[in-house]
Amino acid sequence: MIQMFHVSKSYEGGVPALVDVTLKIPKGEFLFITGPSGAGKSTLLKIMFGSEAPTEGQIILDGRNYVRIPSSELPALRRRIGFVFQDFKLLPNKTVFENVALSLKVMGVAPSDVKRRVARMLSYVKLQHRANFKPLSLSGGEQQRVAIARALVKDPAIILADEPTGNLDPSLSVQIIELFREVSSRGTTVVVATHDKMLIEKYGRRTVALEGGRLIG
Amino acid sequence: MSKSGSADLVYIIGDALRSLRENAGTTVLTSFTLAFSLAIFSLFIFVITNLNGVVEGWGEKTQLIVYVKDASVGQADSIRQALAAIPGVKSAEFVSKEKALAQLKEELKGHDGILDGVDANPLPASFEVRVREEFKQPEQIAGIAGSIKALDWAEEVQYSREWVEKLSAFIRFIQLAAVATGIFLGAATLFIISNTIRLGVYARKDEIEIMKLVGASDMYVKAPFVLEGLLQGLFGGLLAMFILALGRYAVLSEIPSYLRFAVEMPFSTALFLAFLTGAGMLMGVAGSLISMNRFLKV
Repeated sequence: MIQMFHVSKSYEGGVPALVDVTLKIPKGEFLFITGPSGAGKSTLLKIMFGSEAPTEGQIILDGRNYVRIPSSELPALRRRIGFVFQDFKLLPNKTVFENVALSLKVMGVAPSDVKRRVARMLSYVKLQHRANFKPLSLSGGEQQRVAIARALVKDPAIILADEPTGNLDPSLSVQIIELFREVSSRGTTVVVATHDKMLIEKYGRRTVALEGGRLIG
Repeated sequence: MSKSGSADLVYIIGDALRSLRENAGTTVLTSFTLAFSLAIFSLFIFVITNLNGVVEGWGEKTQLIVYVKDASVGQADSIRQALAAIPGVKSAEFVSKEKALAQLKEELKGHDGILDGVDANPLPASFEVRVREEFKQPEQIAGIAGSIKALDWAEEVQYSREWVEKLSAFIRFIQLAAVATGIFLGAATLFIISNTIRLGVYARKDEIEIMKLVGASDMYVKAPFVLEGLLQGLFGGLLAMFILALGRYAVLSEIPSYLRFAVEMPFSTALFLAFLTGAGMLMGVAGSLISMNRFLKV
């Protein structure tokens, strides 16, 4: 359960990125955040992820207020949230397997469990045959699925995805959203930021729209 | 949050070792930079320490020679006591007429003929007076010379006023130059080392960011860098020692023997090695941690 109350964010010398956003996302919900580029979608996700602090307002995750999260508590927060980045953020000199395993290793999961869970997750996103490849030798769609596997493998309570279909063709986009839908149906909260109207219409999920940093619907 | 603390440690060490292998090139480069910087700085410390020793040795030799009237030679003991009682006098050594002649003969070795026909000993007896460390200023030495001259058994007091003044000015100059050069060289060394380390960390800023984003603790991210910093420092220190030894061996036969003192090792080898590797490891680890700090805030 994510709750945001009157959250605003402004950067020094810039226009406000978010203005008075109040939003409740119940556990297990699949939510689209939409809006044009620069509307504040990424900022909203970053605030939920604890990598940016709001200038004003409160954010509560599972009953815990995370407005000014001490840096020592950030790792714990991030182990509960799987973030899928627009630019994937994969380590180019590590294999697909190692990239996915990283999010379990930093949690101290035992090596045998890591092996089992990563292998299962790679076959879930249909990349088991790419386990020993380096990310840069994969297609954009495959890299995106590696990033998603890395976010999902730790069984997070929340998945945040920033334009996960931004670089993909329509059929691949549908595959990716199907993956998220499945995860959501098992109780994981999923928040997807996208400007792809087609996807939103196709799935008919709850959608909030941002414009100029304000929620408009 | 971690399910198993021991697995944590296994991963941290394992990842640190793996990253060391993957970044072997950078580690070697940084080690060499550390080594050469430390070696140059050490060479400077060597030369300065040795030079200081020599200059102090010269100062040690600063002394007055007091020639004793022939009539007073019999009172050598009481004269010595009188000299020792003068403030600033460290010691007074009696040189008898015979000893003076023997010294002269020694100095004229090979030219013995010069002294042929000299029957009576024409040399006066004298006292070589050494001055205390805190009385080495030219005006103080002049004062001591004045008080000795006032004694009635003293024929003449000899010291080179000009030499004493020049020497003391030279020592001051050397010390000032050493401090200035040391500061300059030390700053340059730190600058070169910290930049090399910073470049190495910068090349891996994405890795640091991604580790943090998937929930790695700061310790997990820092561990490989600390280990690399330690190893770089250790290699760098050992290599610096090797460079110095090799360099010394190479120049030793090329330089005149009266200048060899400058490349002598002024400290114990073990102590110096401990200093080099210690300084190297400290710089390696501190440099890494400082450089990566700003990339940890994601």
